[in-house]
Amino acid sequence: MNINKVAVIGAGVMGAGIAAHIANAGVPVLLLDIVPKDAVNRNQIAETAVSHLLKSEPPALMHAKAAKLITAGNIEDHLPLLKDVDWVIEAIIENPDIKHALYAKLEQACRTETIISSNTSTLPLALLCQGRSDTFKQQFLITHFFNPPRYMRLLEIVTSPATNKDVVKTISQFADIQLGKGCVLCHDTPGFIANRIGTFWLQSGLLQAIALQLPITQADAIMTAFGIPKTGIFGLLDLIGLDLVPHILKSFKQLLPASDAFQALNHTPELVQRMISDGNTGRKGKGGFYRLQKRDDGKRIKEAIDLGTGEYQVAEKIKPDKNLILAALLSNNDAASQFAWQVMSETLLYSASLIPEIADDIVSVDNAMRLGYNWKYGPFELLDLMGVDLFVKRVEQEQKTIPALLAPRQPLYQTLANKPCYRDLGGQYLPVPRAEGLLVLADIKSARPPVLSNASASLWDIGDGVACLEFHSKMNTLDNDSLELIRQSISKVKTGFVALVIYNDAENFSAGANLTLLMQAIHQQNWAVVDQLIQQGQQTYHALKYSPFPVVGAPSGLALGGGCEILLHCDAIQAHAELYMGLVEVGVGLVPGWGGCKEYLSRQLGNTSRPGGAMPALAQAFENIGTAKVSKSAANAKELLYLSNADGITMNRDRLLADAKAKALSLVKNYQTPEPASFHLPGASAKAAMLMAVNNLFLAGKISDYDVEISSQLAQVLSGGACDIIDILTEQDILNLELQAFVNLVKQSGTLLRLERLLKAG
Amino acid sequence: MKNVVIAGFCRSPFTPANKGMLAKVRPDDLAAQVIKGLIHDTGVNPEHIEDLILGCAFPEGEQGLNVARIIVHLAELPITIAGTTVNRFCGSSMQAIHNAAGAIQMGAGEVFICAGVESMSRIPMGGFNPLPNPVLYQAYPQAYISMGETAENLALKYLIKREAQEQFALLSQQKAFAAQQKGLFTPEIIPIQSKYGVINIDGCLRPDSSLAGLADLQPAFLKNGSVTAGTSSPLTDGAAAVLVCSEAYADAHGLDKLARIKSIAVSGCAPEIMGIGPVAASQKVLERAGLTLADIDIVELNEAFAAQSLAVLHDLPIAAEKLNLDGGAIALGHPLGATGARITGKAASLLKREGKRYALATQCIGGGQGIATILEAI
Repeated sequence: MNINKVAVIGAGVMGAGIAAHIANAGVPVLLLDIVPKDAVNRNQIAETAVSHLLKSEPPALMHAKAAKLITAGNIEDHLPLLKDVDWVIEAIIENPDIKHALYAKLEQACRTETIISSNTSTLPLALLCQGRSDTFKQQFLITHFFNPPRYMRLLEIVTSPATNKDVVKTISQFADIQLGKGCVLCHDTPGFIANRIGTFWLQSGLLQAIALQLPITQADAIMTAFGIPKTGIFGLLDLIGLDLVPHILKSFKQLLPASDAFQALNHTPELVQRMISDGNTGRKGKGGFYRLQKRDDGKRIKEAIDLGTGEYQVAEKIKPDKNLILAALLSNNDAASQFAWQVMSETLLYSASLIPEIADDIVSVDNAMRLGYNWKYGPFELLDLMGVDLFVKRVEQEQKTIPALLAPRQPLYQTLANKPCYRDLGGQYLPVPRAEGLLVLADIKSARPPVLSNASASLWDIGDGVACLEFHSKMNTLDNDSLELIRQSISKVKTGFVALVIYNDAENFSAGANLTLLMQAIHQQNWAVVDQLIQQGQQTYHALKYSPFPVVGAPSGLALGGGCEILLHCDAIQAHAELYMGLVEVGVGLVPGWGGCKEYLSRQLGNTSRPGGAMPALAQAFENIGTAKVSKSAANAKELLYLSNADGITMNRDRLLADAKAKALSLVKNYQTPEPASFHLPGASAKAAMLMAVNNLFLAGKISDYDVEISSQLAQVLSGGACDIIDILTEQDILNLELQAFVNLVKQSGTLLRLERLLKAG
Repeated sequence: MKNVVIAGFCRSPFTPANKGMLAKVRPDDLAAQVIKGLIHDTGVNPEHIEDLILGCAFPEGEQGLNVARIIVHLAELPITIAGTTVNRFCGSSMQAIHNAAGAIQMGAGEVFICAGVESMSRIPMGGFNPLPNPVLYQAYPQAYISMGETAENLALKYLIKREAQEQFALLSQQKAFAAQQKGLFTPEIIPIQSKYGVINIDGCLRPDSSLAGLADLQPAFLKNGSVTAGTSSPLTDGAAAVLVCSEAYADAHGLDKLARIKSIAVSGCAPEIMGIGPVAASQKVLERAGLTLADIDIVELNEAFAAQSLAVLHDLPIAAEKLNLDGGAIALGHPLGATGARITGKAASLLKREGKRYALATQCIGGGQGIATILEAI
């Protein structure tokens, strides 16, 4: 069965967000809610939700056009429309009676083969199905999305023995491939996996910090040592909303047995109660544990609550210590170390005790915490990092119970016969299950040595004659080593492979060129080095473009500056849907110098869907480079012409490498290197036109005088320099202009100032 | 010399660019409907028309390909009528009238349609492909100065305060709204048929304008400037047309004569204060008519900007009760190519409506020019 149309019932934050993400996948979706009392517009609630989606930050929609796939309606008039729907997602209030009443209506309105799921985060499936027919039970499951649905990758799936296996398969596949979700099968237990452990951890952190009187900034900073996002405990509580805390705790109190370890932590501290009654409920309220206060000079400063006094104080900025070693942190005896140990040991012990209650295996739990809470490591991966043996020893000293899973004191994960394996409850190592068709770079890396490697990049054999170029410097910035490895890879792939994919597993494809090196050259006024850096990049990317094999770029996350430029030189791109790509060089007082102006100009000039003439294409390139425009998604990158129509988009981050490899292989047969572009550009006249526009922005106070200088250098490149409109320029002509403009800018103090500012801010 | 008369005036509604009802109407179709309306309302025999002279400030895209001749066909006029597109930026369609007047006196025709059109929604100000001369831009950037900046220059030069500009703009809004309420625009407006229904009402007016509201607006062109969107004429879509013929022809064919064209003039000034253009043009045109400003009863002064209008009024002290009786471009809108025909036609019909003797229609023009026409009641 295919999912061609979806309905979401309940247009609250979650329901609307889920509908938006289904629209992001290109699937039409009905969004229904109740008819408000005395409503003139009976669709008002759902329609308002859609209009909020268009303004949401971060954007719920990948593309404004996706909103057109959402049809707003109400459950009184529009239930008959459910006849066309393949999947109905219920996302209404967490009240069993109201849900039951809705299900009774759905059972009438839907076809028997329609799949129905609930987005409940608390109610057990068994309770939800009470009183329903066997047919309904076969078609029913829980699909629990995380907020915000576009960005949080976890989808918890809960089924009952009655649930049809094909239903689970259909939903899992749709969620995996089209929605890009990581599906984790959970048992029908309270809070499922992520919130059971996540809430326990939050509560443990809250209580321990209060007990130790730890500054919350410090508490949150400590958490980052465990690969937990910098919101930590208190930032996350602010995000969730403090007013929800008592409700969540109450529901766990009722649903969990008295013997559950959670019950010991299950109470709302007096401070939190006071904050709620004062309206300090978090980001949606006046403030929370943190708040932004406007100072007299108009600047906003971050304040943090003092857990002892309940008063706000200026939040001390704590930079996470990059050299902090977990073992060292945990072995100290200061308040911070005590906090770290108490919270994490408690949480990890609890997690270990929940296998097999909440999930079949540790892999599911680790996946859930990584995808649902953005932890870098799941609890069991953390245990391996800390050393299971050491961990157990210390727990024993504290005379706490050791969960059966940890009793053998063996690592929880191991690579056996080149395959990543996990340990089951019986102590056996089994291969970590991978979804069908998945290609995991980490698996390849643990199985064989790289074909080529240096400090910044490596080349891997990913099978079927395809090589994968991986960047692995900090933030995947590009330096001499990266360029060197690209050149080596070109030689290698020529003889040993049929195609090249440029991909890495990191959160961000590449933050651009390594500016530290550039800064050093500027400080030494060593212009020859700058010149060489630019030429080397230009020549390397040029060689990549004209290599005799197809090159497919496979970016996810940020692809900025030099990272964007390398993609513009690829034959094709297979992009993750979350792609933030752009030529941002003007932000640091530069212009794209590694062929970015040339390639982007060529894309703009080749776009035949806009009015003709010399200026429109140039004006667009000038605007997008001149304002450092970054795409808000891969779909948006297509609109901006960073991607071409032929480039592919992969919704599931995990499937990106496999899709990119397939794309590369599809280009192998009859591959021809691209024809070099030639350019007809109006030269000084176009530059004058661009400068007129820039001057008006300057006069209106919208840009600074150094912006004018950068824009003027950029205009010099994009206009074609000193050429006449009847001249034909080559790619090399544009590259020379890029180099000249780049060198002109690096010699100016304004550029140095911007570079310093960026490097300081990180 | 033959007397030349204006024997008909009409226009489309003026609506705001991009968001108004005319945004989706092609300018050639728009002008053709207005011209059809003019032929119908005046009762002129189309076979006698010599030429369709059409003003347009950015004659490219849908306004390109000598759109005047294209409009001859769209308006289903006899193919014997020639067509020429003239460009004097904002003065284009007043220039069209001047061209016809000159031709008639030269004996080069008896009846002319003088029209103007601009879709500022569909053809951007500056055009699709601005390619200024780079040498001139370097040596004399004023040649390409933006209009907003020229208004700021005049505000500085004539010490025109922001409050005064806002009072002027508010008055224009009030006059236009009152005229609209009284139905004074109805006789001149040709309802425009479009795919989206009939458009028959001016859309730029802001009857809810207030001094407090105007005072809240940000400067539009200079960071610390005084000119705002509220004290500038809005980007507008619209078309206007007048029938120009010899007085003898009008008499022989029983046409309704609105006014006689007494004298015409154009002038040049510094581009960076282009808004002062009406002063020199008006002085010339008065001298040619043998009149003084005091003799003039009705004035249509195009309100490109409030600051610009106030600067002109400083040098040409025109009594408030004579000026822009039904409001000006700040309220009604300023579709560049159409404005000249509108204010000249308006001045002619006001002479008749108000029973006055002399009228002056005058405009400033981007690049540093002025244009003026004196009309005399018949």
